Amino acid sequence: MRLRTFACLFAALVCMPATALAQAPGSSGPSSSLFSNLANPAIGMNALFTGQAAHNLDQAYGLGFDEAEISLISVVDPYWTFVSNIVFVGNGEVDPEEVWVRSTNIPSVQLKLGKIRGTFGKHGLLHTHAFPFIQAPVVMSNTVGEEGFKDAGVEASWLTPLPWFSELTGGAYQAIDADDEHPLDFGSTQHDNVPFLGHYKNQFDLGEATTLEVGQSVLDGRGTDGNRHAAFGADVTFRNVPPKNSNRHGWILQGEYLQKGTFANGSYVREPDGGYASLQYRLSQVWWVGVRGEQARNSLTDFMVDDTGAGIPGKVNRGSVNIAWTPSEFSFIRLEYSHAKADVGIHPTDDRLLIQMSYTIGYHPAHAY
Amino acid sequence: MKFLFRLTLALGLGATAAAPALADLKVATSLTDLASVAQYVGGKHVSAQSLCRGYEDPHFVPAKPSLMKAIQHADVFVSTGLELDGGWLPLVLPGSRNPKIQPGAKGFVDASNGVQVLEKPAGTVSRAEGDIHPLGNPHYYLDPKALEVVADHLAEVFSQLDPANGADYAANAKAFDEKMEAALEKWGKQMEPYKGASIVPYHRNFIYFADRFGLKLFGTVEPKPGIPPSPHYIAQFAEAMKKSGVKVVVYQPYYNADASNQVAKRAGGVAVEIASEVGGLPGTDDVFSKFDAMVSSLAGALSGKAGQP
Repeated sequence: MRLRTFACLFAALVCMPATALAQAPGSSGPSSSLFSNLANPAIGMNALFTGQAAHNLDQAYGLGFDEAEISLISVVDPYWTFVSNIVFVGNGEVDPEEVWVRSTNIPSVQLKLGKIRGTFGKHGLLHTHAFPFIQAPVVMSNTVGEEGFKDAGVEASWLTPLPWFSELTGGAYQAIDADDEHPLDFGSTQHDNVPFLGHYKNQFDLGEATTLEVGQSVLDGRGTDGNRHAAFGADVTFRNVPPKNSNRHGWILQGEYLQKGTFANGSYVREPDGGYASLQYRLSQVWWVGVRGEQARNSLTDFMVDDTGAGIPGKVNRGSVNIAWTPSEFSFIRLEYSHAKADVGIHPTDDRLLIQMSYTIGYHPAHAY
Repeated sequence: MKFLFRLTLALGLGATAAAPALADLKVATSLTDLASVAQYVGGKHVSAQSLCRGYEDPHFVPAKPSLMKAIQHADVFVSTGLELDGGWLPLVLPGSRNPKIQPGAKGFVDASNGVQVLEKPAGTVSRAEGDIHPLGNPHYYLDPKALEVVADHLAEVFSQLDPANGADYAANAKAFDEKMEAALEKWGKQMEPYKGASIVPYHRNFIYFADRFGLKLFGTVEPKPGIPPSPHYIAQFAEAMKKSGVKVVVYQPYYNADASNQVAKRAGGVAVEIASEVGGLPGTDDVFSKFDAMVSSLAGALSGKAGQP
């Protein structure tokens, strides 16, 4: 019996290649490759280069590589869509900035799971190349992070049954220490520390061309010091896109206020806070101009230093103007000037000129409205 | 908190009470033309609305959250397909949180399915050619015959989702096709004298219309898709038109009229504003009146009796 089994097995092994060869010429199967690339994700890449002339900073003038972002987007299955943005930063670091999945089959609710950009505020939702001005408002890096609040977690957003767009979002995140990217200290290892987010956004059509959007945000978690730390935000945006000139004219008037604080000994202590108001105006298909005024209090920024070069928190007012040339949807060059005044440090004022270039290849999803 | 809860409940109930009488199927579309066809095919069983207005550039529809809200409870979404709505639909569809109309679901329709697509790029697709459509020219709704394909397709989808009214949908689609065939005969006669004549559209979106009625396209006012013309290009292009005796420039309400008028003036011709989408101009309330207006305007311009010098 054993001998017969062995003989059959041997015969099968000997004949198998011959059978395969015999089938190959006329095969209607996947003869070229076993692996199909038809379901590959949509791939895109954006590269950002920025140059800065700032006489208060100890750095050479010139153009530098800012970051390159690779985005991969695809449907996972009938239930999830996968989105990722991997960022290669100028200093050589690789940051999996966003890697998350989004539910597609729950009525009125959308779940997001993974490493996400928390739905906090307005400016904090933008990718770097989508910032309306080259420099992020000073208050951002002092409250939730220059590029918003980024952490691993889960968010659920509910499109309420109200007759206008009214969206309520709740999120819970992993405990995370404060660092340069995350000014909020949510690093407590206590089991009851689940940093959470709340966001409420309403959008109204004020006519065919103009919309009003109002948002409120809160983030809360326990820090390494055992205290609760929180950030609050409020934003309002008027946007005008004339239907007949949707690719040539329009404007965006936006304001946002953010605040960070700590609950200690039964009371709330306000820490950095501030806000900005900006107007962007589209002159034509290829030209945009913008102006922004901002204030940040009890905040740090690169030119507010003492004579040893150490940062000092204080109040800073800054005004910025810029002009952008967008020859196509896939590239732009913009020039920006800013003037700032500080109430602390060895540089009472700061003037700087910046230039930025952005190039996108492949598939890049539209930015949120 | 109680007050907020009551307020929300009251507003929600109020909104429900204020809603119009419900049709069997709520249909939303990317384009007004698709909404017009859907309404013909659906008849009294369907309420169809387009997210893009007829006088709005279908390539650049702002992905307003209110559009997401508008399709939150839609039963069917009809996309133009071929990536014409690719700049905004990937935001609006998921934002609606409506599983019934997501790609892959029964309620999602790619209206380009079954249509004979023109200008499919051969070989490598490069944006050196401008913002081209890699899947082919998506402006098939400028061919009346293509809309018959869309009507038949929609009748099938509506019948699957609402079998009780399937016979009505099939009959409506048949009536639509017959009406379109009769209209085509009329438009064909109107355009007959101009077979072989050349026109210049602002954007490369007239190929289907030109192909159907025997017109030729002599370039475009924009040098490449999505790239605005420079004064140098306008001068050069107008000169080329002049040499070739091409005199008619056509542009949509959402394109730059100045550039089209400049080209026409320099070439000694006329620029005509034409609605290529339903609702683009007054008197283009459905696909039939849209083609009536298009044919009439173009025939007038080609005969030298209409347009702006």
